[in-house]
Amino acid sequence: MISNLRERQYTIVRRSALVAMFTIALSLWLTATALAHNVTPRDAGYIQEIWGVKLIPFAYLGAKHMITGYDHILFLLGVVFFLYKMKDVAIYVSLFAFGHSITMLLGVWYGWGINAYIIDAIIGFSVIYKAVDNMGLFRKWLGFQPNTKAATLIFGLLHGTGLASKIMEYQISEDGLLANLLAFNVGVEIGQLLALGAILILMGYWRRRDAFIRQGFYANILLAIAGVYFMAEQIHGYIYFDAGQ
Amino acid sequence: MLYEEKPDLKDLPSKAQLARSSVIAFVTAIALAVTVVLPAEYAVDPTGVGKVLGLTEMGEIRLELQEEFENDEHHSQIPNLFKTLASSLSGLLISNAYAQGQGDVVEFTLNPGDTYEVKLTMKEGDEVAFTMAVSGGRVNYDLHAHGNGESISYEKGRGSSGSEGSFVAAFDGAHGWFWRNRDDKTATVTLSLQGTYAALKEGS
Repeated sequence: MISNLRERQYTIVRRSALVAMFTIALSLWLTATALAHNVTPRDAGYIQEIWGVKLIPFAYLGAKHMITGYDHILFLLGVVFFLYKMKDVAIYVSLFAFGHSITMLLGVWYGWGINAYIIDAIIGFSVIYKAVDNMGLFRKWLGFQPNTKAATLIFGLLHGTGLASKIMEYQISEDGLLANLLAFNVGVEIGQLLALGAILILMGYWRRRDAFIRQGFYANILLAIAGVYFMAEQIHGYIYFDAGQ
Repeated sequence: MLYEEKPDLKDLPSKAQLARSSVIAFVTAIALAVTVVLPAEYAVDPTGVGKVLGLTEMGEIRLELQEEFENDEHHSQIPNLFKTLASSLSGLLISNAYAQGQGDVVEFTLNPGDTYEVKLTMKEGDEVAFTMAVSGGRVNYDLHAHGNGESISYEKGRGSSGSEGSFVAAFDGAHGWFWRNRDDKTATVTLSLQGTYAALKEGS
């Protein structure tokens, strides 16, 4: 009886510790993204003041862009949500990284201009897609499972196009452009790995729990809602700030 | 890999591994915050690593731009009526001194970090041709105008070793250049002007 009570207390303490950890991690990240939202114009200001090869500053800006860009992180979270083996995580994250690097570099180099609102709306859609996919709804609705690797690669290419549009807004100097662009890309991957590390640690604690599968399903509903919100925001922006001009 | 599949405990990191990873992540986060984020965002560099990485410079430029931005907002808080009055008064005074096809040569040196400004009082439609020669280093510049609550940028450059061209005033007001030396060498700028303008003001 006593041991049972202690066990229950222990479980409650553990559960609250876990919830607290998630809350702290989430609020730290949200604060960072909110702050970054205000300072991003100053990133552009800095870039417009400098020229020549500046590898580490550009790598920093790439990493910052990735970590504070919640659209990319949410998609990454969706991709690894039910990947339990490190080998699978490595394969899928590489596909995503390969995809966004290709279109980011080529997009800036050849100046493929895609409307930032439209590409961001598509990125929002990628979050919805992955969440719906995770919930197994495509299999239910379509009768088959769309190839998950292909989807990760294709959405990677689209995320890269979004990155390219953002970088072009920065107006990086022609002087040192290629080296700086490559450094920015390396920074994006470093930022992605840092974010992935944090995600995998938190998921590691969560996955050990029996309730993970049930809670994971609901978490993917939230993920889909976040995607819908992000997409709606971009479409709203397109209609009110862009199409009207 | 979908939600129906429960994780196999043997695929998951053990509690000990998770605890170790958490500590590593925590230490990494603190270290990056101190050596990378603080210098790059706020030019706060307690370890000196930010300077070595070139990130403190980013923080300094950020703060500088922020300060200039805030000062600009301060200027625009001067009541508009006062501004309009002032500019129409000065317009009256200056119109007497109006000359066609005026020319000037302005020369100055800029040490790293220094700024300089040349402002021409112009009326809408006035045209000025210019040649800007830079020697010794390279400069950033912004050829822009303010007046009657309007502002415009005609041309911007960074790491420039010279430029030439002409511009037509889009409205009555002060039209001119703002330079800044972001290079590590002292630069000498020679600006030759030819065109229609009234007063020329210069200074740093």
